[in-house]
Amino acid sequence: MGVTVLQQFPMTENRTGPQTIEFLTKRIVALGAVQTGQFLVDCETYMSVPQLGVQKTVHVLHNSEQPASVFAVLESGSKVVPLIADGLFDLLMLKMTSIYTSKKQTKIESKGPRFEIGDFCVKLGSVTMSQNFKGVLVEVEYRPCVVPGSAWDLMREFLQGFIGSVVPNQAPQYLQNRMNDIYQPMDTIQQYLEHFGQYRKTTGVI
Amino acid sequence: MAYSVNISVEAPIENQIQEITYDGQEIYQAPLTLSENLAKIAQKIDFTKTINGDDVKKEQSDSSEKSEDDTKDPAAFQSSLWPWDSVRSKLRNALTEVCVLADVLAIAKEKRYMVLDPVPQEAAEVKQIVQIYARKKALAGAASVLMMGAERLRNCQNELARNRSTPDFHIELLRLRQNWRLKKVSNSIIGDLSYRTAGSKYTQTGMFEVTKAEEEEKASTSPPASPNPNATVASGQSHGSSNTKASALRVTIPSELQGVAYIEVLCQKDQEDLCSANISLLNSSANSSNADMHWQQKLEAAQNVLFCKELFSQLAREAVHLRAPIPHMVVGNQIMATVLPGIQLIIGLCHSTGNDKKPSAPPPHKSDHDHVLEHSLHQLLREVHHKNTHHPFPHPSSGPLGPSKRRCLAGPTAADRYELIEMTKSQTLLEQIIQQAQHFFMRLRTEYVLDTIAKEVKDPLIVSHWNALNSPTQSCVKINILTHGYDIVCRTSLVVHVGEKSLKCVCRDGRVMHMSYEPQELRDLIFCQIYQHQITAVQALAKCMGWQFLANSSHLGLGAVEPLGNASSCILASPIGDRMIAVRCEPQTGVQVAIAHSPRKDFFPGQLVRERKWENLGGSFKEVRWDKMEGKNFVNKMELLMASLTSS
Repeated sequence: MGVTVLQQFPMTENRTGPQTIEFLTKRIVALGAVQTGQFLVDCETYMSVPQLGVQKTVHVLHNSEQPASVFAVLESGSKVVPLIADGLFDLLMLKMTSIYTSKKQTKIESKGPRFEIGDFCVKLGSVTMSQNFKGVLVEVEYRPCVVPGSAWDLMREFLQGFIGSVVPNQAPQYLQNRMNDIYQPMDTIQQYLEHFGQYRKTTGVI
Repeated sequence: MAYSVNISVEAPIENQIQEITYDGQEIYQAPLTLSENLAKIAQKIDFTKTINGDDVKKEQSDSSEKSEDDTKDPAAFQSSLWPWDSVRSKLRNALTEVCVLADVLAIAKEKRYMVLDPVPQEAAEVKQIVQIYARKKALAGAASVLMMGAERLRNCQNELARNRSTPDFHIELLRLRQNWRLKKVSNSIIGDLSYRTAGSKYTQTGMFEVTKAEEEEKASTSPPASPNPNATVASGQSHGSSNTKASALRVTIPSELQGVAYIEVLCQKDQEDLCSANISLLNSSANSSNADMHWQQKLEAAQNVLFCKELFSQLAREAVHLRAPIPHMVVGNQIMATVLPGIQLIIGLCHSTGNDKKPSAPPPHKSDHDHVLEHSLHQLLREVHHKNTHHPFPHPSSGPLGPSKRRCLAGPTAADRYELIEMTKSQTLLEQIIQQAQHFFMRLRTEYVLDTIAKEVKDPLIVSHWNALNSPTQSCVKINILTHGYDIVCRTSLVVHVGEKSLKCVCRDGRVMHMSYEPQELRDLIFCQIYQHQITAVQALAKCMGWQFLANSSHLGLGAVEPLGNASSCILASPIGDRMIAVRCEPQTGVQVAIAHSPRKDFFPGQLVRERKWENLGGSFKEVRWDKMEGKNFVNKMELLMASLTSS
């Protein structure tokens, strides 16, 4: 488990989603990466029923990198409660349909090929929300290090090397607040949730 | 209010008025109860009417009843009347018969037209013989039951009186019950000797039946249900013989669990012996299969048979499924696995049923049965059983049973897939036993190498300490190389970790060397260490003696190429600096020592060296004939040499 950074790859007019993924795949393979299967991160959002008063939102996420875990983020007002549970949590949510109802059309996921290149693990995900393509999200993990502050410069260089100047020189806002903390799997999930929120808000393809 | 008139409003009279009193009060009849109503309706039935006139009558009765019940719907009423019809017809028939009987009696009473006369009855022929015979038979049956009961009671009394030592059946049963699982199934007592309750998942059942010992003989002559007086006599006669048995209780064990079984573990070195390995019983267990064994031993033996069978079937299953570079073989009741090149591990199931021929003397095995590995196998299966029943705590009642504690926590701690894959890896029994066998051989080889070197090399002493704390697959030996009498001056120690297929050697200076299972590698390493020890010992000694240490090379590039390691050397100078000693140590040729004097005491000016001062540059080395040196060992000789060079 190392530090992970997410980067949206902007879509151009002349390329479709699969073509973009293929384009990036060619680049990363040219760098010497080896494909190691597929990955999938999905997110489903549940809203509390209005009778309960203040509206609460529960995001339930799965990451294929942690196959035995279910991640949940509860948002109520300004408070955010993260939770990591095992697979039974999904069944628990099914039992709570009278309190939390899921909005099926907001189910969003990022899936695609997974590559390993040296100490880096690169995932090229195409984001789809209820079967509609939304954009391309690149995940890069630097595995030997768990402190974002120490790993960011190296990761930035790597990211700029294979994606281009889209990558900003500053670390993402989420990581900037935690530059000297130990990176946890939940941090990856929080970043995914932020990006998924952006994709949900926009109507078209980013 | 003189004109006011009281108007009373009342319910219509539904009941008949019984009487009107003089003050005008009306007394009503109480309404009919259901049974009274029935009687009233029944009264209205005209039984004298024939069937033909029924329809008309019915209509009439209908109308009358209709008025009674205040029902308006004739159709509904009609249908409810019909059930009465059968009652009516039966009563009618009865009335007809009674009328006929009354008529007959009336006529018979007159005695004019009819006379009642008794009909002569033919007396039944009573056969005395048959009656007596039947009674006799019944009495005999009753008598035999009584006799049999009395006989059994008497036998019991006799037995108790004659032989106090024979324990009671029920006491024995109690003892059995304390140690074994029993249950009563209809008329018999069934026990279970399987390890099911201890966590075994083996499918074969371990049922046995408990019977009373003396009833065994009786059951052989006749089924126990029929009370036959002959059988009682027979049992009484055979009772005397059964008295010799110590136990009043007999256990019947299924034939597949009878006899003695054990798992034989052999380690073989030779390839050609593979097929001829004949598994036979050990001598000790040959005589224990007779039927007169005490039930405790009998049950224990049967339980052992069951356990061995489970163990072997488990191993055989694993041997078939495991993928090994040299595939494991399962032939009959043998499993063959390659431990190290040229060494096979053979695990066999030996099971002798008690009733076959006496086993002849077992052929001598080339390699002996390994009791330690057999014990390890038993231990491994017991561990599996224990794990099946003892789940790690805490486990929530709603959670799944079985996964390990680490697996339970994998979800909440967000374990990634590599950790999860690591968790799924588990070793089978066969893998574990192969590892233990491999370690056993590695240990044996290491011991052998160390012992032979210690025997061969006398000069530096080689002392090996085997660590008492070890595991079935890991042990550790500390090797000390020291010179007798100089162990304070210099001591080289190294640690060898003996694993399953490899050795790891940690030297004093922190170097770690990994070696394969070939014993020669360890041997070479120890020899290199011995010669390095000699050089360091000389250096340490030189410090003590006040000699100067001029040069040292542990990997000398001079001289003949060594087959293993390099020669090491050092050069020492005497305290004044006029003498020098050069030592060269190599594993192959041993130790060479040379000395040089400078300046030499005797100087003869020659053609080339004309002045004495040139002698200070150092002269040529002359080799010391080391075998002629005085001293117990190398370091002692060096000490003496230094001493003599210093003093002279």
